[in-house]
Amino acid sequence: MSIVGALIVILALLPLGISGTYYMHVLILAFVYVVISSSWRVVSISGQFNIAIGAFMGIGAYAAAIPNVWLGWPPWVTIPLGAVAAAILGAVLAFPFARLRTIYYAMGTLFLGYVIINLITAGGKTTGMSTGLGGVEPLFSNRAHYYYLALGLMIVSMLCLYRFEFSRIGVRMKAVSQSHEVAASVGIGERRNRILAVAFGSFFAGLMGAVYCHYQGVASPSSYGLAATLWIIMYVLVGGINSYWGPTIGVGILLVIPEFFFRDLRGDLPYVTAAILLIIAFTMPEGIVGLLKLLRARVFARRRTKEEVSVDAP
Amino acid sequence: MLLEIKDLTKNFGGLAAVSDFSMDVAEGEIVGLIGPNGAGKSTVFNLITGVLPATSGTIVFDGHDITKKLPDQVARLGIGRTFQLNPLFPDFTVLENVTSSFDLHPRSTLFDIFFNTGKYRRNEAFIQVKAREILELVGLLDEVDELAKNLPHGHQKMLGVARALATKPRLLLLDEPLAGMNPGEIQDSLDAIRSMRANGITVLIVEHNMQILTLCDRVVVISFGKKITEGLPEEVRANTEVISAYFGTDYVC
Repeated sequence: MSIVGALIVILALLPLGISGTYYMHVLILAFVYVVISSSWRVVSISGQFNIAIGAFMGIGAYAAAIPNVWLGWPPWVTIPLGAVAAAILGAVLAFPFARLRTIYYAMGTLFLGYVIINLITAGGKTTGMSTGLGGVEPLFSNRAHYYYLALGLMIVSMLCLYRFEFSRIGVRMKAVSQSHEVAASVGIGERRNRILAVAFGSFFAGLMGAVYCHYQGVASPSSYGLAATLWIIMYVLVGGINSYWGPTIGVGILLVIPEFFFRDLRGDLPYVTAAILLIIAFTMPEGIVGLLKLLRARVFARRRTKEEVSVDAP
Repeated sequence: MLLEIKDLTKNFGGLAAVSDFSMDVAEGEIVGLIGPNGAGKSTVFNLITGVLPATSGTIVFDGHDITKKLPDQVARLGIGRTFQLNPLFPDFTVLENVTSSFDLHPRSTLFDIFFNTGKYRRNEAFIQVKAREILELVGLLDEVDELAKNLPHGHQKMLGVARALATKPRLLLLDEPLAGMNPGEIQDSLDAIRSMRANGITVLIVEHNMQILTLCDRVVVISFGKKITEGLPEEVRANTEVISAYFGTDYVC
């Protein structure tokens, strides 16, 4: 807890040092992806591996961009609208998909993401087709303000996701994922809980998609396709899918550290990333958090044996 | 009648697994539904609990038509059930299996849970106490922190019963509670079922093992999807049709 508190204080003070620089942009991007990948992970505890998460981020972005650009609605209206639109559409789409489980669910949502992106691209002038919809009104003129907005939304979102997972709601999700038959026998319905999980997770994906779109001034389909989805899932897997902090650590390792310290590599960066991914895939099935837990267990075990030795000594 | 099944039929393609099957269970009874392997016992069980949709016929529980209800809706109305195989959440601990099964009584709304209201916290504290009481009843109190998948088979089945009791059922359906148990465990299970009735729970047992007869107020016998007889345990035991259904006609004296 104290680590989290210290991190928030550091992040809150950081703009004093890096205001207006590229580093600030990277951190805004990181805050957005921490929320989106954490929301993906929270949906996954109900047993749903949603390969359309990028598209849900896109739904939030376009639901904010279209009324802003064509109807002139202010960003303070369109950003919540993006979040709500993603949640509602998520719930509606989750309904038929609640019949599918495991790999079939993953395949179904893979196609779903593809369909959503193609529908957006085919939207004519309204969506700006494949080049995207530009001219989305900026919220602020100062990048530091975006930084604080993203930081604040990340903290609030992470608190909401925490409540969702570590309460009876999360227990219901885990129950459904372990055995939908046993869960149903105690009154925990599979369909309603899975739909709830998708709606809840999509809300935060849509929210951050909308914020990011206003920050960039453009909503473009290429940002929400399969590549975006795979990056989000990689943040989760690298950090550790079984841990609440996994996605955050994954974003730190795969996004923040490379952009902060290895920018000079440029064209070689993908190779470094690929190497990191392979090492983790082969040596850390539970990601970085799994490794940290293992190390902590070792340290505690060593301490315990030392204590035992000192007690035995005369 | 607490449970009324009328003219229940279930066809799988051209095969009639259950045909025109009718039976009742009155409040406070222990009723056995027995029959040889493949007789349609489990199909009846799955039809009552909503796992399978019926082809025709009706199932009425406490005045509600539950014929087309889904499993979780059936559970909400007060029918608890156990499973023959895999009766639990394997990656939860023994205690978590029971606390997670306390989802109906007391019930917390999504609002209460998400905003951690006083009502939700009181409910959860109550559940922690009650879950331990139930685990003591089924003799699993020493294993509360063990992962459910690591329990021996007999204990897994008892945990399944504990989970079902957590839903505070009015009618409890037991699916082959004696299957795979050793003689000692069978005695414990019979005692446990008796104490359920003492607690006001009506019990319907689907069982292959004839030892269950000692426990039942009334027995229904099913063979090839049809009810062949119904009566007191002694009557059923002496019934030639039952003997021939179980052992073949050669054994009927």
